[in-house]
Amino acid sequence: MRTSIICIGNRFVEEDAAGPQVFDRLQTMQPLPAGIELVEGGLAGLNLLPLLEQGGRVVFVDAVKGFTHPGEIVLLTHQEILQTPGQFSFDHGAGLPYLLAVLPKVYDGEMPEEIVLLGLEGRCGEETIEKAANMSVTIAAHGLRGLG
Amino acid sequence: MVKIAKGINIPLNRAEGDLQINVEIEGGVISEAWSAGTMFRGFEGMMRGRGALDGLVMTPRVCGICSITHLTAAVEALDTIAGVTPPDNARRLRNLALMVETVQSDVRHAILMFMVDFANREAYDKHPLWNEALVRYQPLAGRAAVEVIRESKRLIQVMAIIGGQWPHTSFMVPGGVTSIPEVSKLLQCRIIVERFCSWYERSILGCSIERWQAIGSVGDLDAWLDESPAHRDSEVGFFIRFSREAGLHTCGRGPNRFLSYGNLPLPLDTAVQGTGSRMLAAGYAVSTTVHHFEAAQITEDVSHSWYEQGSVPVHPFAGKTKPYASGQSGQLYSWVKAPRYCGEVVETGPLAEMVIGGNPLFCDMIEKDGPNVMARQLARLVRPTGLLAPMSVWLGELVDKRGDAFYRSVLTIPDGQGAGMIQAARGALGHWVKIQDEKITHYQIITPTAWNGSPRDENGVRGAWEEALIGTKVKDINNPVEAGHVVRSFDPCLVCAVHCLKKGRETGIVKLGFAQ
Repeated sequence: MRTSIICIGNRFVEEDAAGPQVFDRLQTMQPLPAGIELVEGGLAGLNLLPLLEQGGRVVFVDAVKGFTHPGEIVLLTHQEILQTPGQFSFDHGAGLPYLLAVLPKVYDGEMPEEIVLLGLEGRCGEETIEKAANMSVTIAAHGLRGLG
Repeated sequence: MVKIAKGINIPLNRAEGDLQINVEIEGGVISEAWSAGTMFRGFEGMMRGRGALDGLVMTPRVCGICSITHLTAAVEALDTIAGVTPPDNARRLRNLALMVETVQSDVRHAILMFMVDFANREAYDKHPLWNEALVRYQPLAGRAAVEVIRESKRLIQVMAIIGGQWPHTSFMVPGGVTSIPEVSKLLQCRIIVERFCSWYERSILGCSIERWQAIGSVGDLDAWLDESPAHRDSEVGFFIRFSREAGLHTCGRGPNRFLSYGNLPLPLDTAVQGTGSRMLAAGYAVSTTVHHFEAAQITEDVSHSWYEQGSVPVHPFAGKTKPYASGQSGQLYSWVKAPRYCGEVVETGPLAEMVIGGNPLFCDMIEKDGPNVMARQLARLVRPTGLLAPMSVWLGELVDKRGDAFYRSVLTIPDGQGAGMIQAARGALGHWVKIQDEKITHYQIITPTAWNGSPRDENGVRGAWEEALIGTKVKDINNPVEAGHVVRSFDPCLVCAVHCLKKGRETGIVKLGFAQ
């Protein structure tokens, strides 16, 4: 199955840098298991849509706020992301719920079979970044079920 | 004096989350306005001491929308320092990527960020076209809202092919570009651009680009509207009809002075026409009278910004960015500096490009009504009419001349200084860079939103959209959609004007406070 890990966020803003930090950690672990594509999604917002029309499994890695204790990791399914209270109008950095809400209306290829968000809450130390990087690879390879 | 001591919220989150506008209202009309960027960016300090080429990797990551734009400004500054002129094919590829980003931004902003307010029930349910606006622009459901996301998404493929990767390409390097796309890929790009153009003509214009470009006055525009139902029902036709009914041609005047750095350096051998060495002319205009542009006339004033106070406003090659947020409370109110040209406040963006380029329709609009929200937003919506045809031409030339050079070798960046001055989607963008011993010693960026959203200067003169807000009638202080129209017509982007984007689950509602 084609899978991708898309790390989103802003590496210049500490509270939003978790995704890029996990990306940097995953870069040091290259080559990742066959079939896993690693993407630095950054602030691309709506311009990530082409990465979501190739079927397969997509694991987003991003900073989250208000889901768990600072320094901890939370996993959200496609449906849970969509149910996150948030604004569903477009902005300059349209968030993940907006992206996933608009996807079914605009995709050209094939929708992903599985979408997961691996969220990092608050400031995260090296250990959490490392853990998130390893979890993202496991989920990309085996889906949420792979975590056992 | 009637002052309303009530704070209200305006959902300026579509214009980024760190903009706060305070206004005073007298008798339902805005009489004073202060625009504050509320977060420190600090980007200039981050760049000092880094390798000479680091701007090519760092600055595109500042903004998710203007990534290619910052890359272009960064590389042009380094080209200048290295004393190299990129070969024609590199010019074509760089221009194409920047044009895709501009076209994409123009249609998205118009439909998703500006016209979405036409579907605002509280503001417009009495407007005769409100029902139709709902069908077109309702978030995630409106016909045009969905279409524009789909069509603008397809353009990304062009940036991915040219840039060799997507997102975060750094394919522009001093001396040219790093990739030579296959002929088949170039042809694919051309098909994508031509398909987009067909959609743009059908849905946005309701006519061919040639027909639109034949409009040379407000009278012509009225005749065009009456000419065919396709014109009236297009997004442009609907925008004009809705805007006139809502009075958007009567508000948001601003300073009536315009600035464009010019854009898109022309290859030496090309069928695309331009002014001098660029496709789009540089200039400074007072109303519709255009003057020669001189980069040395740019200064940054920090008299009302939270920075260490200098004695006089200085050119960005001499400017410093030292935050200083204590003392003088009240006078200092923004993290955005106040750029000025010849000491004057100016507006930049698509309308400025139209005026400085001598577009007869927009010059006529300004001579009749002065600058206004409708003219400013219409300029953005129709700017792609001037970009799409040259894009096809350059793709054709790339196929024909693919055997020519794409890169001239630049082994090291010598000591020196250079500026990359281009037109971003939102207007004039400049990177001012100094290099010593292959390290960055100075990096100053002035963004379009710094020009348009600046605070007051040492003479107490308001920034462009502060000025544009004055005189705006606000019918309902609980839903001040008119003030939102004025600010959004400048397409504010505080991400790079002030700081980097804050994401997460915050709603980004921005307070439009009323002075006590």
